[in-house]
Amino acid sequence: MQRSGIPRFWNLGATFFRFVFRIVSRVLAFAFNSSVKAKRLQSRAAEKEQRRLHVPTIDRSTGELPPFIVVVQGPPKVGKSLLIKCLVKHYTKHNLSEVHGPITVVSGKQRRVQFLECPNDINGMIDAAKIADLALLLVDGSYGFEMVHIAGVGDFASTGITSLADPCPLPSAAKKKGLRDKEKLFYAPMSGLGDLLYDKDAVYININDHLVQFSKVDEETSASGKGKDRDVGVALVKTLQNTRYSIDEKLEQSFINLFGRKPPSASDDNVDANESGYSQGHVSILDQEDDDCLDDKEVSDDDEARKNELIAESESDDSDGDDNCTMDDDHVGDQQITAFSHDLKEEIEFHNGRFRRKVISSDYKDNGDLQDSEGDDMQELDDDDDDLGDHMDVGSESSEEGDEDLDSDDEGENVSKWKGSLLAKTVSRQNGNLMQLVYGPNVTASTTTSQEAHDSSESDDSDEDFFMPKGERTKKLSDNLDVDNVDTEDSSKFNNIQLKDWSDGDLVKSIRDRFVTGDWSKAAQRGLGTEDVGDNETVFGDFEDLETGEVFKGNPEDNDKSSGSFRMGDDQEMEERRLKKLALRAKFDDDGSDLSDEEEHNKRKFNQNQTDAGGYFDKLKEEIELRKQMNIAELNDLDEATRVEVEGFRIGTYLRLEIHGIPFEMVEYFDPHHPILVGGVGLGEENVGYMQARLKRHRWHKKVLKTRDPIIISVGWRRYQTIPIYAIEDRNGRYRMLKYTPEHMHCLAMFWGPLAPPKTGILALQTLSNNQTGFRITATGAVQEFNHAAQIMKKVKLVGCPLKIFKKTALIKDMFTSDLEIAKFEGAAIRTVSGIRGQVKKAAKVELGDRPKKKGESVKEGIARCTFEDRILMSDIVFLRAWTRVEIPRFYNPVTTSLQPRDQTWKGMKTVAELRRDNNLPVPYNKDSVYMSIERKPRKFNPLVIPRKLQAALPFASKPKDKPARKQPSLESRRAVVMEPHERKVHALVQHLQQIKNEKMRKRKLKEQEKKKAYEAEKMKQEQLSRKRQREERRERYRREDKHKRTRRKVED
Amino acid sequence: MGKTSYVRLKGSRQFRQRLLLATLSSTPILVEDIRSDDTSPGLQPHEVSLLRLIEKVSDDCTVEINETGITNDSKDSSVDTFRTTTLHMLKRFGVPLEGLMLKIESRGAPPLGGGEVVLGVPIVPNSLTAAHWVDEGMVKSIRGVTFSTRVSPQIANRMIYAARGVFNRFIPDVHIFTDHRSGPAGGRSPGYGLSLVAETTSGCLISTDVAVNYPKADETDVMEDSEEKPDMLPPEDVGVQAASTLLGEIEQGGVVDSTHQGLLFLLCALCPPDVSKVRVGMLTPYGIETLRNIRDFLGVKFVIKPDPTTNTVILKCVGCGMKNLSRKIA
Repeated sequence: MQRSGIPRFWNLGATFFRFVFRIVSRVLAFAFNSSVKAKRLQSRAAEKEQRRLHVPTIDRSTGELPPFIVVVQGPPKVGKSLLIKCLVKHYTKHNLSEVHGPITVVSGKQRRVQFLECPNDINGMIDAAKIADLALLLVDGSYGFEMVHIAGVGDFASTGITSLADPCPLPSAAKKKGLRDKEKLFYAPMSGLGDLLYDKDAVYININDHLVQFSKVDEETSASGKGKDRDVGVALVKTLQNTRYSIDEKLEQSFINLFGRKPPSASDDNVDANESGYSQGHVSILDQEDDDCLDDKEVSDDDEARKNELIAESESDDSDGDDNCTMDDDHVGDQQITAFSHDLKEEIEFHNGRFRRKVISSDYKDNGDLQDSEGDDMQELDDDDDDLGDHMDVGSESSEEGDEDLDSDDEGENVSKWKGSLLAKTVSRQNGNLMQLVYGPNVTASTTTSQEAHDSSESDDSDEDFFMPKGERTKKLSDNLDVDNVDTEDSSKFNNIQLKDWSDGDLVKSIRDRFVTGDWSKAAQRGLGTEDVGDNETVFGDFEDLETGEVFKGNPEDNDKSSGSFRMGDDQEMEERRLKKLALRAKFDDDGSDLSDEEEHNKRKFNQNQTDAGGYFDKLKEEIELRKQMNIAELNDLDEATRVEVEGFRIGTYLRLEIHGIPFEMVEYFDPHHPILVGGVGLGEENVGYMQARLKRHRWHKKVLKTRDPIIISVGWRRYQTIPIYAIEDRNGRYRMLKYTPEHMHCLAMFWGPLAPPKTGILALQTLSNNQTGFRITATGAVQEFNHAAQIMKKVKLVGCPLKIFKKTALIKDMFTSDLEIAKFEGAAIRTVSGIRGQVKKAAKVELGDRPKKKGESVKEGIARCTFEDRILMSDIVFLRAWTRVEIPRFYNPVTTSLQPRDQTWKGMKTVAELRRDNNLPVPYNKDSVYMSIERKPRKFNPLVIPRKLQAALPFASKPKDKPARKQPSLESRRAVVMEPHERKVHALVQHLQQIKNEKMRKRKLKEQEKKKAYEAEKMKQEQLSRKRQREERRERYRREDKHKRTRRKVED
Repeated sequence: MGKTSYVRLKGSRQFRQRLLLATLSSTPILVEDIRSDDTSPGLQPHEVSLLRLIEKVSDDCTVEINETGITNDSKDSSVDTFRTTTLHMLKRFGVPLEGLMLKIESRGAPPLGGGEVVLGVPIVPNSLTAAHWVDEGMVKSIRGVTFSTRVSPQIANRMIYAARGVFNRFIPDVHIFTDHRSGPAGGRSPGYGLSLVAETTSGCLISTDVAVNYPKADETDVMEDSEEKPDMLPPEDVGVQAASTLLGEIEQGGVVDSTHQGLLFLLCALCPPDVSKVRVGMLTPYGIETLRNIRDFLGVKFVIKPDPTTNTVILKCVGCGMKNLSRKIA
């Protein structure tokens, strides 16, 4: 939910929150010394400018904007409710006793604000964050900033969506200053104001007349003096009360009736809803009720009748569902529109289980009376509504004729007749009828008609057919009944166009103008859109007038254009220009509608700068705006019902959803403090599959995440628990499994779950409990793709040891467990610890000599014959390094916090660590996995033995010299040396001289050290002095500069 | 984790389109009663091979398809039409034309086929763009191509001559090319035909094609060629028939011909949620069926408005917002 209006809200809230940012900056001298530096600065500025830009996205909201959602968030006892109360008081002058659930307030002529108090648990916070347009974070000053962070039920197929009257409508668009008190509405359905008081065993309605919402519809009607007994606001409240009443009451009595009535049929609707916090179910169409409808209908006098109507209607809805399950839901919705636009008279119909078909015509809103009479007719027609063919367009004779054509037995002419009727329809019909022709008869209708045809033919000539092959008959049928037969040959061609003889002059004339050789002006008229149908006729008139000479200025524009072809071109151009203008205006509106003049001026100036800067960006924006205007222009042509059918409900419409198959716990444990968030599920998102996401551990989370530990993921509207496998991409493109997430890096996480489109943000949690001390958000990331074929690999190392060694071949045991396994690994590269490379060859037969020596061992299978580049040793260990695919667990578990009391913590799958803690299990101990200091025994080699023959052949130098071992040490080692007297004297003298020299050196060293110390001290002194001087100088300079600046500013002022 | 809910369908009708839509919208479908009343119930061989192809292509990024089969017959538009017209339709919806190509390696006429084409389609960047395509313009030129496999090359010229004769009264700018295939490039069965394209001033392409070949008979009958030869339409008649059909299409109006209505609607429905507006001639049964299928699978409804002055129909829709979900983000 991204909206572009955030800055506007700041402006609006300025009375309450004034954020003053003072940016103190020093003026730099903008004089560049070097051109290189200037260039660099310029490019940096350009880069910054570009980084600011984002790819513009189209804003598809049209008309009234939905309320601006303001989430007030903070720790408990900080004054969130107080703030909301004060804000409500400020806007509406009403005192709110307590804050429950969302509160909508009309704050300006074009703006509504919805306040939402963020519940204080992680689920609520994540939900609130998904819808918030603005978050107000409240902090208790005495505590400082506590770490509280902003960050269900499940998937349901919706069976019904209805738009409701806006409970809190914007004031009418009259030009006036400010809001009148009456228009300062507010809507707080849960807070016991202006609405019912919600309680467990009773429902109180608390309506003070000054609190009731007066919508503009009511104002208008009362002004025109029609004298309605009840105003819409009350009616609305009553209907609300009615539905809620039914939920509460039916739960007490027989909730099966409400929730378990209808088995979920497969082809029900394409709309999927995902309620954050339940499992599989349904949302169903109830009724549509919007401003216009309310405007038209005569509100029945007493509430009871209305209530009955509602109940009856829901019953009829059910019967409808039972009768023909494949009935289109939109169609049901249409019927109910009519149901609502009629009064008590039709009510009886509903009681009988009948319902009326609605003819979609453009003028149905304008003349309600006519429609009523038509409706009665339709009811009569409906009496024989076993034939579903009638359903598609009751009320117009020709269409029925067309339908009968479909299954008529006049087989020769059938197709062309059908075509003819289609063409006739094309010309004569209203658009709705053509739509009904296409969409009205659904699959069941067509099958039944063909069935009927089949039956009739069977009854006709059953005897002859008995001996006919079964297929022949259907073939005969299929030749003619192309449309109805389910087994029609799959052909895109329309073969049945009647060939015309184009040599015929009249025929030639009829399409003459479709060629460039024909009349361009006539052809041009064809090119115009349907909007100008009326104009065309006047154009014809013009031509006639020109012939007679009279200039009839019925349409001066047309007369100006002499040639139609030019006109066409101009028309298109004009249209384009008009749209462009609209787009531009919208852009300006968007920029500065709420700003004061000065601000607007500034902004415009800024925008101009922008246009100078980003040409491409502006082009993109303009294109988008143009497309938006085109969409609006096209859709505005349609009437309301068709528009809803084509476009879906518009953004900002209040809807009533009916959802089937919801567990009763949701209502049982409903807490108004926790708003229920219902999100639509996009195309292709309802499927479950593998997703790849880029994930990064949150840097405030203390631990890294472990592979295969379940985490709770919030992605899109959904929240579920899943088991991820972490991986990282190697340089060769392989995804290698990681046991733990990296500390500060992104990694790839692959998990199973409901799919979300790429680029969707992900938030991961480990537990949902509130009493956790640390940071709860464990990781963040984004979905990258969903690729089922992607594989995460992990390393596998097979270890074996030699059983028997031949020359360069060895039999390896313990590496494989079976011969089959060896066959798989034939040709695989292996290696010994010492680095000798080799290859697996084949499984080896165990021979007698290969048998292990020990008795207990039995090696029968799994011995591989391998070759190496060199002979290996028996003490070598042989490795086989390979990669194996990691299976990603197919597990996901929707978080169902709404199905249990709010104070309980949701419990999902436990992590391994939690399980161990709970069951008091120790961490498994594997001796081989323990880290130990490696001790290597010095290797003992056998003495070298040279064979005698070789010894004899060696040259003498290389020959080992055989010396017999000595019994006693040699003479040199035993002999003692004694000095002569002279020698002793010389030795002593040398020693003395050495000593003197050493002493001298020592003294000199000491002296040098002292000298150095003195020098250092002196240097320090000098340095201090100079530093002091420099500081003085600097201070003086600053003082001067400042003075200078101040004087300059004064001059400027 | 809920059970997979299938969309239940009946019969072999629109088998290809249903498969396509189911694949695009990733909806599981269950087709029952396929030719249950027929002499040969169940899937036909060509349908089985389509399923195999889908199996091969899906969950993997594939841009090139090389298939062997029938390239020209009377049931569907021929490869020539596909190349000249269908691929150009994609341009309107924002598919870059650069990577689009269809190369006819060899042609194959029924019953034995033997044609081979290479289709290259670029990956659509993110999504299609909505088209506003109402102006049909005026026919400014007619182009065409004949094909003839395992027959006399003279037949092509006879067809061209006859077709030009019809167009002479309307427009002089008619060029029809010949594509004669013999040997292995000509497939395994004889046949000939003509594909014509009318180009309008606003760039619309309206095409038709006619193909003539031996009727698909039982396998034993194929041998007795001599008997069935007279059944083939003479080339002159083929030319006239093709030309007349094209004129018929032009008469009906619309930005595409009747054959391409289905694809046009499909492309509109697959656009992002913007309004697409197109004009077609009379709605064909196939087109109507397509609209219903789109409604069932994609939940997109068209506003269908007749334009009485021109006997055409204007369709408007808001796209379903299909995105290329399988594409990895950079």
